[in-house]
Amino acid sequence: MAKLRKYLVVTRISLQNVIAYRSSALGGLLFYSLFIFVFFNLWRAIYKGGEVTGYSLTQMIWYLCITELVVFGCRSGVYNQMNDDVKSGSIAYQLNRPYHYVMFQFFNALGNMVFNLVIYGILAIILGLIMAGPIPGFSFASLPFALISVFLGIIINFFFMITLGLTAFRLEENFAFYLIYQKLVFMLGMFIPVEFLPKWLQSIALYLPFSYVAWAPARLVVAFSWDLFWQVIPVQLVWALVSILMSLGMYSYGVKGIQAHGG
Amino acid sequence: MAAIEVEGLCKLYRTRIKEEGLKASFRALTRPVYKEVKAVDNISFTVEQGEILAFIGPNGAGKSTTIKMLTGILHPSSGRLSVLGMDPATQRRRLSYRIGTVFGQKSQLWFHLPPMDSFVLLGAIYDIEKAVLKKRIDELAERFEIGDLLKTPVRKLSLGQRIRCEVAASLLHSPDILFLDEPTIGLDVVAKHRIRELILQMNREQGTTIFLTSHDTGDMEQLCRRAIVIDHGRIILDEPVKKLKYDYMNRKIIAVRFTGEYKLKEIDGITLEKSGRLGARLSVDTRVCSIDEAMRWLIAQGGVADITVEDPPMEDIIASIFEGGGQSLGGGR
Repeated sequence: MAKLRKYLVVTRISLQNVIAYRSSALGGLLFYSLFIFVFFNLWRAIYKGGEVTGYSLTQMIWYLCITELVVFGCRSGVYNQMNDDVKSGSIAYQLNRPYHYVMFQFFNALGNMVFNLVIYGILAIILGLIMAGPIPGFSFASLPFALISVFLGIIINFFFMITLGLTAFRLEENFAFYLIYQKLVFMLGMFIPVEFLPKWLQSIALYLPFSYVAWAPARLVVAFSWDLFWQVIPVQLVWALVSILMSLGMYSYGVKGIQAHGG
Repeated sequence: MAAIEVEGLCKLYRTRIKEEGLKASFRALTRPVYKEVKAVDNISFTVEQGEILAFIGPNGAGKSTTIKMLTGILHPSSGRLSVLGMDPATQRRRLSYRIGTVFGQKSQLWFHLPPMDSFVLLGAIYDIEKAVLKKRIDELAERFEIGDLLKTPVRKLSLGQRIRCEVAASLLHSPDILFLDEPTIGLDVVAKHRIRELILQMNREQGTTIFLTSHDTGDMEQLCRRAIVIDHGRIILDEPVKKLKYDYMNRKIIAVRFTGEYKLKEIDGITLEKSGRLGARLSVDTRVCSIDEAMRWLIAQGGVADITVEDPPMEDIIASIFEGGGQSLGGGR
């Protein structure tokens, strides 16, 4: 219990920090709105040519708002932060403390994520209601279950991000990993739902973690079904566990050979 | 009891080397060439509990690398290390409860928040009970005179104020050893003096062992009884500061500007290093001629417009250690 208290204070302080630095969030909100607006128009144009199987236009717009919410909301800056810390040498301050570094980073990022999810969440609901209106037949009773999936998606995303970020301990330059990861999440579920991908790609994507960050949770929110829920949750749990173990492994490997720069 | 014991410590870095030019860039892609750099090269020393040790040397001498190994951040390539009886590389977390660090060029305080928030966070990280923490913060706030600053966002503090908060932050958990890496870098004379006084006070009242790196000879002169001089990863001198001062820091540089044409009469202990039409640079051997005498002599020359007295830079002192044959520790390289 005492251990958890330590990490909760970390979250509290980081939340205080984002609130103190809230002006940086404004740019993100604008960008989020712009992004949604562009894709809103794109999808509207597509749907004019006829209904698309699996999603009504209303569901599609909400799908868009939610996948973007997951991605924007999860922006904790942990990747860049770790990179900067290694390059500037500030990592020296963070490593010689009585806590687990990966756990510290997680609870630190949690403060950011809570803040982002709240403000982007409000914006997502407002934009969704303006552009699409409520989803016909939407069931609030299943929403909490869909949110479990959203939460797991965030966990998967975070620990993959930190695993890749930890390569900074060993490598001079690791930004490419970030770009590749981001694009995979974007292509396999954020940009277009997995159902719209070619069959062969679909079957591959369903075994990979990327679609479970944004696609699966968003699908569950806009069109909940127990079938999908029981199909998605176990896979998410497995990937969450794998990503956590990978990050811990990468940490213990990285910390042994860290190149501390900066004097 | 010894607080720190170091024996035959080495740290090798492998850095990629690349020759100039596009062709070499392509070659480096397929066949990277590595060069081994010895950042720390077989050093041994002991620091007693309650001692203040200066670990000095020019930039890139291996000072920070040594501190990072002592605090467990970097793992040594070879050699034996013991800090408070622990091995920093394998017992870093346990050790971290008992040591504090300040890196003058980096910050451990949250930039957008007042120092108080960082203090509370550090208190939680070091498992300090709330009541104990509050007492400790009050005590440090009074001593470091930062009571008014604790509620101001760090970004609004001056460097001197920030460093005082940084040092206080590293003392929250009452460490047995305080590692200070360039704590006075970039500070003005007054702020430097403040920090040095506070460090001395901590040492005297709480018996905190202090391991200080610096390339400022003033830090060493005012704080320490013993100094280790390191250059190119090797210890070139391990001596009482008094002796070091007498043997090697016996020179002052005086830069003087005159109001008109001038002529200098020779005097023992002062050599002319450079002279221009209206100014000169003089080197004073303080063993032969005190600064007091030098000043009187200079004023007597008439027409002085401006005088600056400086310590020779660290690099010069190290050069003179090499020239002097380095009577201790096998004479360097």
